[in-house]
Amino acid sequence: MRRSSFVLALVLALAGSVALARADCRVRTGDVVVLYGTSDDPDVFLWDSRFRMRRYQEGTFDEMNALLPHAVLARPGTRAVVVSCVARFVRSKFSDVPEDAIGVKIVSGPLRGQEGWVLGSSIRGIYHRIRRRR
Amino acid sequence: MSLPTLGGRRIPASLVTTAILAIAVVLAVQGAFSTRASIARTFSEQAQIVQAQLALEQLLRLQIHEEDSVRGYSLTRDPFYKEQYASITSDFARKAAAVRHILSKAGLESGRQNLDDYLSLQSNWRKKIAEPLLAHPGRDIAQIDKENKAFTDYEARTTDEIRATLAQANDRLGKSTQEQVNTNAYLRAMWLIILGLAAILVNGYRSRLATELQEERSTTEVLQRAFRSEHVPLPNCQVGSAYVAASSHLAVGGDVFDVYRLSGTLALLFIADVSGKGVDAAVLTAFIKFTIRGIALRRRDPGAMLAEFNTAFAQTVENPYLFVSMFVAVLDTETFQLRYASAGHDSAFLRRSNNAVQQLAVTGPVLGVMEEPFETKTLYLEDGDTLVLATDGLTEARTRQGATLGEAGAMELIASTNPAPQLMADEIVARVRALRGNQLRDDLAVLAVRVREAEDRDAAI
Repeated sequence: MRRSSFVLALVLALAGSVALARADCRVRTGDVVVLYGTSDDPDVFLWDSRFRMRRYQEGTFDEMNALLPHAVLARPGTRAVVVSCVARFVRSKFSDVPEDAIGVKIVSGPLRGQEGWVLGSSIRGIYHRIRRRR
Repeated sequence: MSLPTLGGRRIPASLVTTAILAIAVVLAVQGAFSTRASIARTFSEQAQIVQAQLALEQLLRLQIHEEDSVRGYSLTRDPFYKEQYASITSDFARKAAAVRHILSKAGLESGRQNLDDYLSLQSNWRKKIAEPLLAHPGRDIAQIDKENKAFTDYEARTTDEIRATLAQANDRLGKSTQEQVNTNAYLRAMWLIILGLAAILVNGYRSRLATELQEERSTTEVLQRAFRSEHVPLPNCQVGSAYVAASSHLAVGGDVFDVYRLSGTLALLFIADVSGKGVDAAVLTAFIKFTIRGIALRRRDPGAMLAEFNTAFAQTVENPYLFVSMFVAVLDTETFQLRYASAGHDSAFLRRSNNAVQQLAVTGPVLGVMEEPFETKTLYLEDGDTLVLATDGLTEARTRQGATLGEAGAMELIASTNPAPQLMADEIVARVRALRGNQLRDDLAVLAVRVREAEDRDAAI
């Protein structure tokens, strides 16, 4: 009985945090997106951890280089499916607006099948999944 | 409230108002120039910042072209890309020096430091990425791309900081100029309000003064009308007179003349001009008129009359700044002997029947200054001769050009007037007024006494 209550509380807490985190995200789980950086540098880093991704954004040049083994470079135009989103997770001292951290699964190109985290600003061409109304 | 003085003299209210308005105009103009200079300075500084922003964007374009050249060579091994890389690197160095110069000139130290960081990073990128790739194009392009992206990301942050520094400087300049313009405008407005109020106060004072003077003038004119002589008919003579007050002064002066019969044949003629203006001068004219009449009833010698009057004047009038110029004559209307004395009064003329005019001599000093004897002179009038007595409003009349008429001008004017005494007096006044566009600077009194022609006398009898 005690065990089942603990599990239930944990599930509720996780669900609550995910719901809270997703509250302000501009993408939803299941959305199909296209990865594209800036027009000057369209490649996108796919990170194995959103925390590393955040450190990369905030760190010095040496710190950035040290983190590179944890990222793969996705070509611009790579398609992916959103599997998770944490709103305003990446706060950079160089930008006033924090960015979302978006968990994706690559569905095209050489990295197909690989999962990872990308910045919200690297997400383009969002195709929202059609949800059925009950 | 009192107006400021200069060397003991009160400055006219109109001059003070004009000075205030002139200061207001100078302040307004100076404010406009100051604001203009401030805006021009800001525009110049903003132009530098915009120049730096443009140069920075060009620099970033060159950086991208540099990367493209390296990537192009790596993929194609075409030497064209190598040459392009060398050329762009050279351009990049020149453009970077230009941006650095602008940032230093604009005093944007943090921007310059960020630029130095960026240039150092770009230099590292060349050593670690570009040059190894150009030397060995077959290297692992995927790994190099990652390192390249890290460089690019960091450079983007650095240049973002430079952009932000420039934008902030631009905003700061705009705000600073706005503040300067506002402060300038508020200050000018405050000064203009203060000066406007001062002008209103001075103008109010001026109006009050004018009203007081107008009231005094009315009082004085009433007094003068009361004291001025009526025309007393004289045997064998025609008499004419005219009096006109000054246009430019509100206070009325102390001009007085009189024709008074002392006996059946003797007549007292006099004209006097009291220094000063206003009620004091007007009252003094009454004193002169009746005192001289009283003296003339006892003494028939004009010189003696003036001497006695001088003593009475000194004993009666305490104001040391008041003095009187006076011409006194006793005319025998049978023999036409004219005995006269003049106390500093030079506007006395004799126009002969042939229109020749001579000035009658001054025979002593003005009254109220010193105890001096006054000489009596005698002359005989002939038929058609006219004795013309005036106050200094005649000889000191000014033309539009500012020249005084003078004694010669007065004599010329008298010679050319109508011989009938009343017409002559009226014409003298009219022509003096016409000299300055119907304006008179001083009061003017004219008394003319003409000996009738023999046939006129017979007709009169």
